[in-house]
Amino acid sequence: MALMRSRTGFLAAALLLALALTACTGAPLEPSWGDISLLDNNILVTFGNVMIQLNPVDGSPVNLYDPEGQIRTDPATQTARRWEITGTDATTRFYQAPFLWDEDLLLAPSYDRKLVEIENSAARLVNVTGYPLPGHIVAPVLPADDLLYVPLSENDLLALNRDDLSQAWRFATRRGIWAEPLLVDDTLYVTSMDHNLYAVDSVTGQEIWRLDLGGAIASAPVLHDGALYIGNFARKLYKISLDGVILAEYSTVDWVWGTPTIVDDTLYAADLVGNVYALAIDGDGFVELWRQQTAARAIRPSVVVYQDRVIAASRDHFVYWLNRETGETIVRHDVRAEVMADLLLLEPTEGLDIREPLLLVSTMARDNLLFAFAADGNSEPRWKYPR
Amino acid sequence: MDFILNPFVTLLTFLYRVFGNDMVLSIAVFTVLVRLLTLPLTLQQQRSTRAMQQIQPEMRRLQEKYKNDREKLAAEQMTLYREYGINPLGGCLPLLIQFPIFIALYQAINMALAATPTQMIDTAGRLLVPGLDSVIPLNNRWLGMDLTQPPNLNTVGTSIESFFPIILLGLVGITTWLQFKMTMPKPAAPSPDGKPDQAQAMTQSMGTIMPIMYVFFSLSFSVGLSIYFIVSNVVGIAQYAVLNRNKLPATPAEIVDKAAEKPADKALPAKGSAGSGASAAVKNVRPNTAAGKPSGNKPNGKPTAKASKAK
Repeated sequence: MALMRSRTGFLAAALLLALALTACTGAPLEPSWGDISLLDNNILVTFGNVMIQLNPVDGSPVNLYDPEGQIRTDPATQTARRWEITGTDATTRFYQAPFLWDEDLLLAPSYDRKLVEIENSAARLVNVTGYPLPGHIVAPVLPADDLLYVPLSENDLLALNRDDLSQAWRFATRRGIWAEPLLVDDTLYVTSMDHNLYAVDSVTGQEIWRLDLGGAIASAPVLHDGALYIGNFARKLYKISLDGVILAEYSTVDWVWGTPTIVDDTLYAADLVGNVYALAIDGDGFVELWRQQTAARAIRPSVVVYQDRVIAASRDHFVYWLNRETGETIVRHDVRAEVMADLLLLEPTEGLDIREPLLLVSTMARDNLLFAFAADGNSEPRWKYPR
Repeated sequence: MDFILNPFVTLLTFLYRVFGNDMVLSIAVFTVLVRLLTLPLTLQQQRSTRAMQQIQPEMRRLQEKYKNDREKLAAEQMTLYREYGINPLGGCLPLLIQFPIFIALYQAINMALAATPTQMIDTAGRLLVPGLDSVIPLNNRWLGMDLTQPPNLNTVGTSIESFFPIILLGLVGITTWLQFKMTMPKPAAPSPDGKPDQAQAMTQSMGTIMPIMYVFFSLSFSVGLSIYFIVSNVVGIAQYAVLNRNKLPATPAEIVDKAAEKPADKALPAKGSAGSGASAAVKNVRPNTAAGKPSGNKPNGKPTAKASKAK
């Protein structure tokens, strides 16, 4: 009360209250989640303003080498230099993996309306301010032979000339594009938050047809056996012909965000209240094989099918391995944070020196950013990053 | 917070659909509904403010009398509050209750408008009325501003539209100040010893701080919340004007009557004794009440219910 007695004290108390109320609303959320991909047979993780390469064998950061094959060292600290990029601009946000633009140059889409150029061999930002874009990006850029297709999260699809990043054409939707377009022959299939699935000429940017699906679409379409498969916020899964006719539909309990996965003529999908679905694709429509309430919260990422298991990861901090025949949970593992990013299944190949198939799970927490599990889920994580 | 947030998000989305996909209109209607819902609290706040103002002369006298005995002063003040049926927190409580609403609304606006994937995924499962999914995502643009983002002042001067954030902030400040000016009591006469009145000084400070604080909030939070502030202030001003015209029941006039109708020996100790001042209070209070209008008795001459009960 003594503080309140003076006018200055009262002013200070009021300002403190204002600041406290500002704090009550919590720290700002990341606008989107990260991505996991492969680059030069190493794992590339992108999230927030960080991009880092990890060794798939043990999750250790990848070192940088000079042309003579020697590990590069930091002149200041004399420690080995890692392949790690931190956006120097505070607004830089990498939510999608970069793609190879030119021999040693990567282009990374940043949420803050730009494409950032990276020198791969030196893990260095070539141009800090980046190439400006007329909107934010949360979906992957689709690189094609001559053009780059850049979906903007508020409105349009841009086609940029690959050589100089000049605009070739711009296709307008009423709302944003939150999923990667699908290129089939010369047609782009573009899903939009304005409820439409668009077919667009990939060369000219002219609309071929559009189909209103009655709800926002945040997932990318999948092509299987001459038809498109898609889920949306109208709580539906659709089978659509390449000329824009709905061939079949199935009602889900809640919104579908993840792109459906199709294996052996069976479609697997999940919704945002934790259900996982297995639907047989039959000529006339979908036949429900099973539906399981698996997780306590939303399942955002696409489900992954590995041998006799279906794998789903949720916002409830768990990764679930389900029986592919029945949908029953066989095992689950706690990753201590929400999972929103798509999972990545790595199988041993000639270049990828891993002893067993690995399932990579990226979370929304930087201190538990990446987990590598044996793909069958039968053991604790093989490694995690950071350790 | 979900038990507040989910109905808020649902109601905002429902209003959006009803009002032809106009988010600003739905925020405005939502605000009016919130103000109507909190009307009893507003009334209580206004009554409390007036009552506090009316007993200020007596309070000042007590402060002067017990300036060296803080404990006794506190006890006497509490006695005074009790005598006149005043809750000293009555003015603050309604304001405090509005803060959770304001925080929930901020989050509800962000969730309903959901400009980013992480906001959108939080919206899922919050719509309690079937069929509202069909309007998702809601249009978050208004006059070139993003309703989910704080006003952008970086582009001011580049176009006519770029001045809208400034106008918006100006309206928040002006309407907050206006509402405060209208609803807060008029300054009481200075004390005989010329010392500044503590409550009055605080009220004056509030008149300066509140608009600044709300402009600060508007700069930090979303444009949608600024619209809530403006509409809420305008509704508050209108509410005050209407209520003032019709006179609030249980105004300080009743307090005066209550004191006047008490037997002198029972009402308060005689002047000069501990806790004195009822008669003095009456003398001091009456000239200030309701612009000198006859008070306390209804037109039929009967005492008000509250005053009768107090006996």
